[in-house]
Amino acid sequence: MRQPPYPTVLKPYGTALVELAKQRPEVVCLSADLTRQCEVDLFRDTIPERFINGGMAEQNLMGIAGAMAREGHIPFVHSFGVFCTRRPYDQVAMAIAYPDLPVRIVGFMPGLSSPGGPSHQAIDDVALMRALPNMTVVDVADAVEVSQVVPAIADLPGPVYLRLKRGEIPVIFDDGDHVLKLDSAQVLSTGRDVAIISGGMMLPAALVAASVLAEHGVEASVLNVPVIKPLDATTVLDACASARAVVVAENHSVIGGLGSAVAEALAEAGLGRPLRRVGVQDVFAGGSRTASYLFERYGLSARAVIEAAWTVTASQGPPPAPPPLPAEAGTYAPV
Amino acid sequence: MRVQSTRPAPLPPRAIQLVAHRIRLHAVRMVARQGLGYLGQALSSAELMATLFTSYLRSGLDHFVLSPGHYVIAAYAAAAETGLLDPADLDAYGQDGSDLEAIGTERSPVADITCGSLGQGLSAAAGLALSDRLRGIQVQTYALVSDGEVQEGQTWEAAMFAAHHGLDRLVVLLDCNNSQVDGPVNSITTIEPIPAKWEAFGWTAQRVDGHDPGALLAALDEAVASPKPAVVLADTSTRHGLDCLPADADGHFIKLSTDLADRAVAELETAILQAERSAR
Repeated sequence: MRQPPYPTVLKPYGTALVELAKQRPEVVCLSADLTRQCEVDLFRDTIPERFINGGMAEQNLMGIAGAMAREGHIPFVHSFGVFCTRRPYDQVAMAIAYPDLPVRIVGFMPGLSSPGGPSHQAIDDVALMRALPNMTVVDVADAVEVSQVVPAIADLPGPVYLRLKRGEIPVIFDDGDHVLKLDSAQVLSTGRDVAIISGGMMLPAALVAASVLAEHGVEASVLNVPVIKPLDATTVLDACASARAVVVAENHSVIGGLGSAVAEALAEAGLGRPLRRVGVQDVFAGGSRTASYLFERYGLSARAVIEAAWTVTASQGPPPAPPPLPAEAGTYAPV
Repeated sequence: MRVQSTRPAPLPPRAIQLVAHRIRLHAVRMVARQGLGYLGQALSSAELMATLFTSYLRSGLDHFVLSPGHYVIAAYAAAAETGLLDPADLDAYGQDGSDLEAIGTERSPVADITCGSLGQGLSAAAGLALSDRLRGIQVQTYALVSDGEVQEGQTWEAAMFAAHHGLDRLVVLLDCNNSQVDGPVNSITTIEPIPAKWEAFGWTAQRVDGHDPGALLAALDEAVASPKPAVVLADTSTRHGLDCLPADADGHFIKLSTDLADRAVAELETAILQAERSAR
C-alpha cells in the first residue's frame, strides 16, 4: 500500500467500462446529462452506438434500463449519486430491484465530496440502495479498486449500486497485489485495541488515524469494506472480536450506511463492543468552495476518526492530532 | 427585506438594460474570485432577473421561486442591484462557510424556494400559488425555470396541476438558453415545440427575445393579466453581453482565467458607461 499523499489518476472508471464493453456487446451505457462528469465521455466517443443520453430525466432512464436488461442488455446507468438514487427511487425499486435485473447504477460524488450543497450531496444513497432487496451496494476506495470492480460486477445476476468519487481518483493500493473481492472485506492491518472499519473515500483517513493512534499506544486494525451489501459479516465480526472497541468511518450519513450494517452484524451475532460511527451526523450539510472544508467541518476527517477511537477505547489525555498532509495538485490526501 | 404594497413602477427598458449589465458585472466578479462557476446562467438570465426584480416582484409580498439553484448567482446580483442585498455580501459568494452558496439551498436569501435538484421548482411555485388562493391572499408567484429542466417529468406534472387548478397568479419565466451540462438542449433531448406544449397543458404561452427588456415587460404584463397560468419563453444565450468569451465557452460551468475575467470586467464597465449615458 502507498503512503499519503497519494498519486491520482483520471477516468479509471470510464476506461474500465470501455474495456469491458469491447469484450461484452451486451453492455450499454446510459447517461443523464452528466456524461463527462461520470467519465463516460470515453464510452460515448469510443462506442457511440451503445451510448444513450437520456437527458435530465432519471426516472424515465431507470425504466428504460430495466426493460433493456430484460432483453439481455447489461445497462450501466450514470449520474450523480443523488440523482440516481433519491430522485428515481420508486423506479429503481419497481423497474430494476424487484424484477432483480442486471442493471448497474453508478452514482458519482458520494457524500460530502461535492461542495454543491444538499441537492448534490449523496449522504443517503447507500442507505436507500441497501434497503432495496436484491441490490448489491459497492463503495470502492481507489483507482485500483475502480478498475477491478467494473469487470467484477459485470456478471452479477442482480442489480448493483456502485458509488464512485468524481474527478482525481487516488491510487492507494499497489496494482498487482490488491485484489478486490465482492464477497470479502479486507484486513489491512491488525491491532487489539480498536477495529476501524471503513471504505470508499474515508479509507485514507482511517489509515492515517490508525498510524497516529499506533504512535500513541492505541493499536488499531483497519478493515476495508468495499461491498456494503451483502456485508462480509464474518470478516467484520472477526476484526471486532479481536478488538476492545469498534469505529466505523464512512462518507455517508451515520444512519443506514456501513455503520448501520456493522451495528446490525454485531448485534445479531451477540458480540458486544462499544461502537462509534464517524460520518455525517444526521444533518444536511452546506455548500462550500471545497470538499475538504466540508470533510473537516462535518467530521469526516482523520482527526474525527482518531477522536472516536481515542474516546471509545477510554484512552487517557487529549487525543493526538493527525499530521498536516498537504495535497499538492494532482495528489490526494485525506482531510 | 423591504415591503412594497403596490407593484413597483416599471423601469424603462433602457434602465432595465443597465441593471442587466450590472448583474453581469457582479456575476463575473463573483465567478472570477473562484476561477470557475455558473456565469452562463447569469449571462442568459440577466435581463429576465433585471426585469423581474425592478419592475414586478414586490419584495415581501410576491413569491419568487428559483427552480434551478445554479442560477442563484444572478438572483444575488439582481438583489444587490435592487437594495435587497448588500453588494459587499456578494464577495462571499461560493466561499467556504458562506451563506451565499454557489448552488441555492434552504438558507439562501432572495429566493423563497430554490432547488439545486432540477425540475422541482414549478411544483413549489404551484404550491405557493395554491396556498395563497386558499388563504385569499392576492399576490403573484413568479418562477424562473430553465429549459433543460423541462426534460424532467415533474415539470409537466406541475404544469398540468397548475392549469387544472386555474392558478392564474402563477407566472413562469422560462430561460430558453439551449444549454445543459452535456451540450445544447436540442442535441440531448428535443423539447420543442415548447410554446405549443405549454399551451396544450392549459397555459398562456408567449415567446420573446429574452435579452430585450421591452419585450419582456410587454410579455410579463400580459402574463400577469392572463386568466390562466402563464409562461414567458425567453430565448437567450449563455454568452450574451460578453463578446470576449470564446465561442465554445461552457454554458453550465465556465472556467474564467484572470486574464479573461479582466477583459470581461473591462467590456462590461464600458457597456455600463454607455448604458448610463443612454439612460439619461
